Amino acid sequence: MNHLLEVQSIHTFIGQYHILQGVDVRVPKGSITALLGRNGAGKTTTLKTILGLTPPRQGKVVFEGREINGMRSFDIAALGIGFVPEHRAIFRDLSVEENLKIAERRKGDYTRKQDFLFSLFPDLKRLINLPGTHLSGGQQQMLAIARALVADNRLLLIDEPSEGLAPVLIEQLMQAIRQLSAETTVVLVEQNFLVASQLAEYYVIIEEGRSVKQGKMKDLVNDKATIHRYLGAA
Amino acid sequence: MAKNKFFSALKPNQGSLITLAVFILLPFVVGLFNGASPAQVWTNGSGQSKFIQGLAIEIFILALYALSYDLIFGFTGLLSFGHSMFFAVGAYLTGILLKNFGFSLGATFGMIFLAGILQALLFGMVLPRVKGITFALVTLGMASVFHVLVISSELGPYTGSDVGLQGVVAPEFISPASQRLRLYFVTLAILIAVFMLYKRFVNSPTGRVCTAIRENEGRALMLGYNTFYFKLAALALSSLTAALAGMLHTIYQPIVSPNVAGLGYTVTALLIILIGGVGTLNGALVGAVVFRLLDYGLRRYIGESASFINGAVYVAIVLFLPFGIVGTWRLKSAQIRQGWERLAKLWLIGNRRD
Repeated sequence: MNHLLEVQSIHTFIGQYHILQGVDVRVPKGSITALLGRNGAGKTTTLKTILGLTPPRQGKVVFEGREINGMRSFDIAALGIGFVPEHRAIFRDLSVEENLKIAERRKGDYTRKQDFLFSLFPDLKRLINLPGTHLSGGQQQMLAIARALVADNRLLLIDEPSEGLAPVLIEQLMQAIRQLSAETTVVLVEQNFLVASQLAEYYVIIEEGRSVKQGKMKDLVNDKATIHRYLGAA
Repeated sequence: MAKNKFFSALKPNQGSLITLAVFILLPFVVGLFNGASPAQVWTNGSGQSKFIQGLAIEIFILALYALSYDLIFGFTGLLSFGHSMFFAVGAYLTGILLKNFGFSLGATFGMIFLAGILQALLFGMVLPRVKGITFALVTLGMASVFHVLVISSELGPYTGSDVGLQGVVAPEFISPASQRLRLYFVTLAILIAVFMLYKRFVNSPTGRVCTAIRENEGRALMLGYNTFYFKLAALALSSLTAALAGMLHTIYQPIVSPNVAGLGYTVTALLIILIGGVGTLNGALVGAVVFRLLDYGLRRYIGESASFINGAVYVAIVLFLPFGIVGTWRLKSAQIRQGWERLAKLWLIGNRRD
């Protein structure tokens, strides 16, 4: 299988704490892959390690056949990896348009992608001149995702997109993520198993800093024992 | 049609244009109040007008200095406790080059430019390694070393040690004694040019990245920006501006006190932008006016105990106007506008029912 991203036995420390103790993730090109696991299992740290924000001490991160561990995070991002952090990490003092424009990697990226972005998130068009601080939680999340789509990213890492959102917004967001997966490969960290199972084609379960299971989501959905054991969901 | 376009283009800058007109006319209006004709003011013949020009020059210099601090602290989020060094380098270098080496003003400006870049690079050296309060302390350390240097007896023949640099004679064509009105307009023109440059900078893509760095540097990195270069660019522009303010200070003042290299002078810049509004640019100008006039007024009418009241006023401003004068004004004016809009809607609904 053609993998866009391969994370091979990474070990990551934050301070003296050994957070990731052997995580393997393989992300097929053009897919949505969900990183699943309980709180504190190491899902977000895995994303941050891929991006070089918490560099691994051991193991490899390979993107499009190129080893990227050890590279600086802005160089990794410039390779075409977009990140949507948890807690709707937009720039609150910038307007919606400025938040989008700042993500341009080449001049004109925003103008070129405008129609696509506003077809995904029509609300943003109406709010274009408002400062980020005036947006609701759902609108901020949409802006954060839209911002990661401005540049031609080939891989999008999304951390907890549904966190704290109303069900109607989660539905809207899921549609948008499904739609954008036609353009780019997505790795998703999601606590809400229902959301993850409806979106992702592949999954990786992380438990206490180790990847313990991975495969196709449709197989996991039928494997109640695994779900119960690692995710605590029935 | 063309006339309408011209006026609509001016409208957003109405406030700035009125302020500019006030400052252009100020020396002449003050002269008229004291019985001096504009021609007398033009030839520096009015004592009162000359005094006001001097006070305004000090405000312009403080505003330049505060603008430079607002750029790195207010817009880029770099808390520096060594900002006074940027100003003091400009002030001392101007004095030394004019007095001891007989440099022309143009050559001095060239050296100030170089010094401005060099000191930004010096601060920039620690940028990738330290952040937040650690950066503030490291910059304080650097500025303290510079302060020790200027008051050292070894450099006394140049810097005047702890007495300060004295006897600097400004070039005749902008001498504060004989050509004060010209110096007034030169300083005002420099302030306007720097202010416009800053406006352009903060609204440019580079400026937006600086704002993003202030908000969350990690997020800016994740978008693929090497934040170091953006912080360095802000530092360089800020350092050049502060050094230019220092240069103007030496041209206007006959003495460069070592106090301008101390922590107190960095606090002055911080205080000015806190009064005016951090990260607003206009706030640096408003803050400089309030700071200098308050200091002057209280010293004149109260005397030595002015510092105590000054301090109390600053505490009150910070407590009651937490976003500074300009910041609070912007916040409140938006709320008042929204209130009016809501009221207008209610009125319209009421009318329809009738």
